[in-house]
Amino acid sequence: MRSVLISFSGLVFTAAALQGAVSFNRDIRPIMSDTCFRCHGPDQSSRMAGIRLDIRAEALKPTKRGVIPIVPGKPDSSAIVARVFSTNAALLMPPKFSHKELSEAQKNTIRQWVAEGAVYEEHWSYQPVKRPAPPAGYRHPIDAFVRSRLAATGLTPSKEADPRTLLRRLHLDLTGLPPTPAEVADYLQKKNYEQVVDQLLASDRYAERQAMQWLDAVRYADTSGFHGDNAFPAWPYRDYVLEAIKSNKPFDQFTREQLAGDLLPGASRTTRVASAFNRMSRTSAEGGLQPKEYLAKYGADRVRTVAGIWMGATLGCAECHDHKFDPLKHKDFYAMKAFFADVKETGLVPDQGPTAWGELLPLPNPAQQAAWEALEKQIAATTEELDFKRKAINAEAWSASLKAATKDWAVQVPVAATASHGTVLKVYGNEPLLSVYESGGSMVSDSKPGNGLIVAEGPNPDNETFTITLKPGAGSWYSLGFEVHSDDRLPGARLARGSDRLLVTEIETWSGGQKVPTSTARSNAAFWEPGLTPWNLIDGKPDTGWGVVTYRSQRSNFVAIDFEQPLVTTADSVLKVIVRHDSQYRRAVAGRVRLALASTANAQPPKEGTRDLTIPALPPGPLDAAIVDATHPELAPVWRKLSMLKSDQTNLRAEIPQVVTTVADASPAQTRVLARGNFMDESGEVVLPAIPAFLGKLEVAKDQRATRLDLANWLVSPDNPLTSRTYVNRLWRQLFGTGLSKVLEDLGSQGEWPTHPELLDWLAAEFSSDWDMKRLVRVIVTSDTYKQSSTPTPEMAAKDPDNRLLARQSRFRVDAEIVRDVVLSASGLLAADKFGGPSVRPYQPLGYLAALNFPKRDYSESRGPDLYRRGLYSFWQRTFLHPSMAAFDGPSREECTLNRSASNTPVQSLVLLNDPSYVEAARVLAERLVASSDSIAKRIDLAFEQATSRRATAKERAVLANLYRTERARFRTAPPDAKALVATGEAPHQANARDLADLAATVSVARAILNLHEVITRN
Amino acid sequence: MNLARRTFLSRTAAAGLGFTALQSLLNGAATGAAGAVQPLHHPAKAKRIIFLYQAGGPSHLETFDYKPKLAEMHGKPMPESITKGQQIAQLQGKPLICFGPQFEFQKFGKSGLEICKLFPQIGSIADKVCLVRSMWTEQINHDPAHAIMNAGNILSGRPSMGSWVVYGLGSESQNLPGFVVLMSSGRGGQMQPIASRQWSSGFLPGKYQGVKLNSNGDPVLYIGNPHGVTPDAQKNTISAVNALNRMQYDQLRDPEIQTRISQYELAFQMQSSVPDLVDMSKEPQSVLDRYGAVPGDGSFASNCLLARRLAERGVRFIQLYHRDWDHHAGIPQNIPLKAEEVDRPTAALIQDLEQRGMLEDTLVIWGGEFGRTPMSQGGNGRDHHIKGFSFMLAGGGVKGGLAYGSTDDFGYAAVEDAVSVHDFHATMLHLLGIDHLRFTQKFQGLDARLTGVSGEVVKGILA
Repeated sequence: MRSVLISFSGLVFTAAALQGAVSFNRDIRPIMSDTCFRCHGPDQSSRMAGIRLDIRAEALKPTKRGVIPIVPGKPDSSAIVARVFSTNAALLMPPKFSHKELSEAQKNTIRQWVAEGAVYEEHWSYQPVKRPAPPAGYRHPIDAFVRSRLAATGLTPSKEADPRTLLRRLHLDLTGLPPTPAEVADYLQKKNYEQVVDQLLASDRYAERQAMQWLDAVRYADTSGFHGDNAFPAWPYRDYVLEAIKSNKPFDQFTREQLAGDLLPGASRTTRVASAFNRMSRTSAEGGLQPKEYLAKYGADRVRTVAGIWMGATLGCAECHDHKFDPLKHKDFYAMKAFFADVKETGLVPDQGPTAWGELLPLPNPAQQAAWEALEKQIAATTEELDFKRKAINAEAWSASLKAATKDWAVQVPVAATASHGTVLKVYGNEPLLSVYESGGSMVSDSKPGNGLIVAEGPNPDNETFTITLKPGAGSWYSLGFEVHSDDRLPGARLARGSDRLLVTEIETWSGGQKVPTSTARSNAAFWEPGLTPWNLIDGKPDTGWGVVTYRSQRSNFVAIDFEQPLVTTADSVLKVIVRHDSQYRRAVAGRVRLALASTANAQPPKEGTRDLTIPALPPGPLDAAIVDATHPELAPVWRKLSMLKSDQTNLRAEIPQVVTTVADASPAQTRVLARGNFMDESGEVVLPAIPAFLGKLEVAKDQRATRLDLANWLVSPDNPLTSRTYVNRLWRQLFGTGLSKVLEDLGSQGEWPTHPELLDWLAAEFSSDWDMKRLVRVIVTSDTYKQSSTPTPEMAAKDPDNRLLARQSRFRVDAEIVRDVVLSASGLLAADKFGGPSVRPYQPLGYLAALNFPKRDYSESRGPDLYRRGLYSFWQRTFLHPSMAAFDGPSREECTLNRSASNTPVQSLVLLNDPSYVEAARVLAERLVASSDSIAKRIDLAFEQATSRRATAKERAVLANLYRTERARFRTAPPDAKALVATGEAPHQANARDLADLAATVSVARAILNLHEVITRN
Repeated sequence: MNLARRTFLSRTAAAGLGFTALQSLLNGAATGAAGAVQPLHHPAKAKRIIFLYQAGGPSHLETFDYKPKLAEMHGKPMPESITKGQQIAQLQGKPLICFGPQFEFQKFGKSGLEICKLFPQIGSIADKVCLVRSMWTEQINHDPAHAIMNAGNILSGRPSMGSWVVYGLGSESQNLPGFVVLMSSGRGGQMQPIASRQWSSGFLPGKYQGVKLNSNGDPVLYIGNPHGVTPDAQKNTISAVNALNRMQYDQLRDPEIQTRISQYELAFQMQSSVPDLVDMSKEPQSVLDRYGAVPGDGSFASNCLLARRLAERGVRFIQLYHRDWDHHAGIPQNIPLKAEEVDRPTAALIQDLEQRGMLEDTLVIWGGEFGRTPMSQGGNGRDHHIKGFSFMLAGGGVKGGLAYGSTDDFGYAAVEDAVSVHDFHATMLHLLGIDHLRFTQKFQGLDARLTGVSGEVVKGILA
């Protein structure tokens, strides 16, 4: 058989190719795959006239009706030639209904191929990877393959890019960040390219850059993706990927750990985190889902993902039938799915509560582990103490006295309520008020008199203090009742005005200019949120508080705050209640509040709150032990201590990171072939785990079921020719803009015959020799082909507009995350010193998540350095990806994504112009510029180099200086505008802005520079 | 309408960018010029779509599909022969009891179309609408049902119908996106979430993505200038950006730079055209009243009026989501709330379009991702239902006064002239002049279509 890799002319110059012999893989397969195989290919169920053309022996056989599709060497006796040239519409192939037409050139190619003997070749990507010898006479093997082919086309390779361009390219490709001016200067002096390569490869930034592609592929995200799209614990898996890339974990081991980290001999915490790979598929908690249907969806997702990443195969097409173009059977799909049948999971994956997200792996550090164990001991001891004391009291009698007290709450209708940071508080007395709340599992709404309900409206600041004025009339009061009502129109747990949480830090009662001393605080909740005990409300500390984090907590949250001494009021007494929200959380401010005063001691916080103003009688018999414990003078101190410990424990649990993980079920679920992919059809054949049959068979011990580990081992074994080819092809895309075979996710029949098949195989052979990811990058970036200038000559532009022959490098826009990284880095705002960790939230327009529910979401941007981390750490909300990320083609990661598009849209311009993240970057850059020099020319030079790694030309400087002058003049006449612009963002302000107009105009200059196409272009 | 092309723009035109090239950048293009389907496969009846998407799954039994037999059977078990082997959502493992229609129906117009009495305004234009009573879908949960209704496929990464249409036909608008999405919510139902993938361009280029128009905050994300930046200042900044980009282009001749320059101009134009679009202050009070719209309230009524304004400005695909149709409970109390929200504006939009001579080439679609069970849930609600539900169509080459297809006596399954989601998409494309079989895009080796591997044009509803 003719070598697959014989020809140097390829797809690009088809006309030239035809002067030589026809190659099946290069010339015929693409035609046949696109136009013939649908009806005459691998899928038996859709085969027509009994003719099969993808296998030579079949194509040479006469049909039942005596038609011979192909007679080698005799085009005139071959039915396929007759049919493609037919002028009779009824006979013409491909037929009209297919909406496919062959060109004359294609028809002639088929004829020539038959005349030359109709030689078939096995599909290229399924051939074993052999290492072709690079053509002689070149410094670097990559150049040898690329340039020997170029020589045959008459194009000459480009010169090396100028050093600034080259260094910027290398930095962007390897780290996703531009070089600093100092790095540029250093390189211009030393020209130590290879040394720089090694430095960059060793940096954390390299791992971050490389992780982006991998996270797309494995569909890493922070939310579940279906329906409620709630956050799930995934980020430790991202940290695993970062660490693995940083430490240059060999790709075969990287593969094994992710697919089967739980099954490896000596499985460690690290490998179990890695196995979260299997749990990255979208999951649903939508009520009324049919578990089997979703288990089928999750399994299918894994098959598509694994086949895409490691095999470059569109195996998903075989979910319903045999593959139309590739030798992948319907059964192969389910045999692959069977590898994952042991992953412990449910169809409905709960997204809240104690069983949320199924199998989780806690990841305590040693200190947390020790603290946990200590707490367990203390809790046991204190529980014992409480039990002992319980025996000594009369719970019945105490219950009876409490029950009487429960009715003694007097709901207050405030005479005034104000807020100090802009919130508008409205008191509803007898006026009717619409409430929407959950009752018995569904939403109900009613309109009733407010009876003292205070509703927060209008501006929604992060911190707020309510001052509520009461005139309770004459009385003697033992406790203040503070109740927060839920309403469905509030986000998150429906209590606060933001979805982060409800967090009240202090509550004070003032009478006659004196703060009323308090003794304790009790709530009606069965448990407290981690660390959020009610007595935090009266501890005088602004950094502690009481609140609610969990969605679907109870409807009314009532805290009783006990006064040390009864508070005596007369008919005219005025009380002021101050409710502080001083936490670091965003908009954790109560939305609906009601106050009450208790006229007896130890009045019980009513379970159902005061919503209906009728406090239901407590049930007969002794009260819950917890109520007695919390109130009885003998028990309360111990109970309180125990509660604190339990609260600490919950708090610690919340602090300990966890991650979804793979746990193997000893008896894997049965896997059936589903006819047409229908999960309700249970008549299909039962299959065991197996690789696609045409690629061979796994060797497993007799009677042993093949495992995910067997699959992983095979994927990285020499028996599988696909893994190394798909990997190097994707890396080529990253470093040159287009894969050697353009369709990254499909190396099958419908993919693209590689432009440089020998080079692709040489790289694959290199890679699979040691699976060294960093070395492969190094090999490529040290080639002259990589280092070439990207500027095409007119000849190149005409002959090879898409740069498939690589007579030059490519220019392309950087990926979404890197757009952010480059701008923040150029401005000096990027928080680049931290590596890994939980996802962060950059600024995002409020209301962007309004279409989400269960719970309703708003968005709380991070604070401090976390506002300025690299794009890859941004919280990845699958159904509503951050709009700036989405604008630059960041994928939703609902599915495995192996290739991103690079669109160029007006929405992108709006983002760079108006997204506060980018405006703030310009503001911060401008502050640095103003601090650095009074000369606008110098400022422009500095900013320009920061952003583009080159110097501005005189003409460029003139445009920007002109902008500066115009803007400064304008800002001088409009100081409020200047003030508003320079106030953008939360980053600390540099103090020395003497001249606001000067600073604001410099912000305009910085904005202009940061909006340049060049800034977001890798050249 | 081409007002924005003032000095600022003519300067760029001078930089060598042609008029049509400029238009082709914004999610679609000038008439016909940039659509992928050219010439059209056959003459089009409709030029644009307004899809009034009733999210959550409206009950067909309390809107457009009257079932007296079901009323008779109220409270009795649903015959097992009907439900056996069928998919079921929240009623899994529960008794299946017939739940009769909760409101009376009435015959409207010359055609005598039977429509629930809660919808008198739609009834008043019965002779202009076509009721398809035989829709069915294959996905029984909201999320995937939305996916298939919008993109013909439950896998993520597939283009939505709006993206397909704008890709195929381009847009007639010069400074607005070709595919615009609006959203409103109402009262009395569970507000089911909606995912942005429902207007995603999937594997088609990002410029075909639906652009969401918001009633709060910036009408389009990031359309507003930063604080302290006046329109003039923004213009100066963009001019500087483009002057510098042009210098780069002159040197490198990279067409991406040229595109970027145009995108900045378009972005600037959108910054005035979008506020102009949403500013309803010049609409006469009589028009506002007719729709029941209060400018700025973000209601379905206001969105219907905005839909008309978008249509006038040449936007190709306008999709209004109205949420809150998920009535697992409280059908008797809650359907009237929905009727109150949608009846008047829906009818007003159709009449308004007709009076402006636009109904004949605008296809208005009213419907959701599925229907609701003829069985009760919890005694007064209905569960998700996929085997039969109703759509209402008007204008754009569809027959008026027609009831097409039917469900069985229980309103359970479409039995006569059943219309699948792919059939519906095929028909929609047909009305736009596109043969769905020939409208493909290569994806993962396949010639991918909005209609997957099925779909037939529903000839019976074509005018």
